[in-house]
Amino acid sequence: MIVGTVDGSSSAPLWVSELASRKASWAAARQATIAGNIANADTPEYRARDIAPFNPDPYARPLQMSRTHALHMELTDLERLAEAVDETGTWDIAHSGNTVSIDEEMIKSGQASRDHQMSVAVMSTFHRMMLSAVSFR
Amino acid sequence: MISPLSGLGATDPLIQPPGGAQAAGAAAVAPAPTQSPDQDSFAQTFKDVAANARDTMRQGEAAAIAGLGGEATIQEVVEAMMGAEQQLRTALAIRDRVVAAYQEVSRMQI
Amino acid sequence: MSDPLTTIGALAGAGMEAQSQRLRIVAQNMANARSAGATPGADPYQRRTVIFSAEMDRAIGSYSVDVKRTELDPTPFRLEHDPSHPAADAAGNVKMPNVNMLVEMADMREANLSYEANLQMMRRARTMISSTIDLLRSGQ
Repeated sequence: MIVGTVDGSSSAPLWVSELASRKASWAAARQATIAGNIANADTPEYRARDIAPFNPDPYARPLQMSRTHALHMELTDLERLAEAVDETGTWDIAHSGNTVSIDEEMIKSGQASRDHQMSVAVMSTFHRMMLSAVSFR
Repeated sequence: MISPLSGLGATDPLIQPPGGAQAAGAAAVAPAPTQSPDQDSFAQTFKDVAANARDTMRQGEAAAIAGLGGEATIQEVVEAMMGAEQQLRTALAIRDRVVAAYQEVSRMQI
Repeated sequence: MSDPLTTIGALAGAGMEAQSQRLRIVAQNMANARSAGATPGADPYQRRTVIFSAEMDRAIGSYSVDVKRTELDPTPFRLEHDPSHPAADAAGNVKMPNVNMLVEMADMREANLSYEANLQMMRRARTMISSTIDLLRSGQ
């Protein structure tokens, strides 16, 4: 099972549900990356990371396979997503080499939260609609 | 007199644990030899619906076990549950309609 | 594999823990800002700093943060002229801690901000997990 995929999701008879499900997974992965940035806001040499923007194409592959890591170290799923994107444009680089801006990260975190809430709301709505469509009497 | 539909009873997925239902179901699904073609298709539909519902419950169980064992993400478990609920509701709706149609047919004056 | 929703909380928790340790060290520095030695020519309290490091945590699935070590600040001690002090040397000078209150206050503010940001991420993780599980309640 891989972050970002919903293989064989049987809760998504409609493609909109599938899309919402993928976006919810994407938003969760993004929030996790942001959490890593904020936790390491004072770690020397730490570079802020982000993941690729959400691809709303219904026929897109759910997860982009990253290139082989230079050290051939086995990457976790989250690291694979985070590594696939170059460093974000930074607001400020401290002389310690740390590029995390807490303000920027909190803004992105708010976006990720809203994306997740909306995706979950869409899934909920379509789920309810589907259940009421098959209810007898 | 309409002979009772076979293929259910011991195979109720809520009573038998996974695997147990399968063994009991295999013994019970053989249709009665004297059934007419009309009863066959009703019975078949009914058995299909029951099997479908049972498989759906299994999927839900598998997802729950994976989730509790830390193998699946929360979202995956929730979605499997939602999917199981949708399929179960669909199966139940079909069952209800099949039963209603069967009762209506059985009330017809011949 | 790891669940992104749970890693948010784990990372935020690690961040809060690291910032707490940092705040503790800052408080220790501030409390000892005037702690000189007890014998003539002795060294006073030496300022401490924390060094964070990003460690890959396989259980979480991402780079967590940890306080690697605390270091002693090598900045030279200040000299104050106070011949009556127990730690006064032959010239009457006392070595005072290399703690600058303004620097410590700024550090404390920064640590607080980081702590609050991590706490906010923890809350967001809880909300996201709740709303995901609540999908199962939407059936009725």
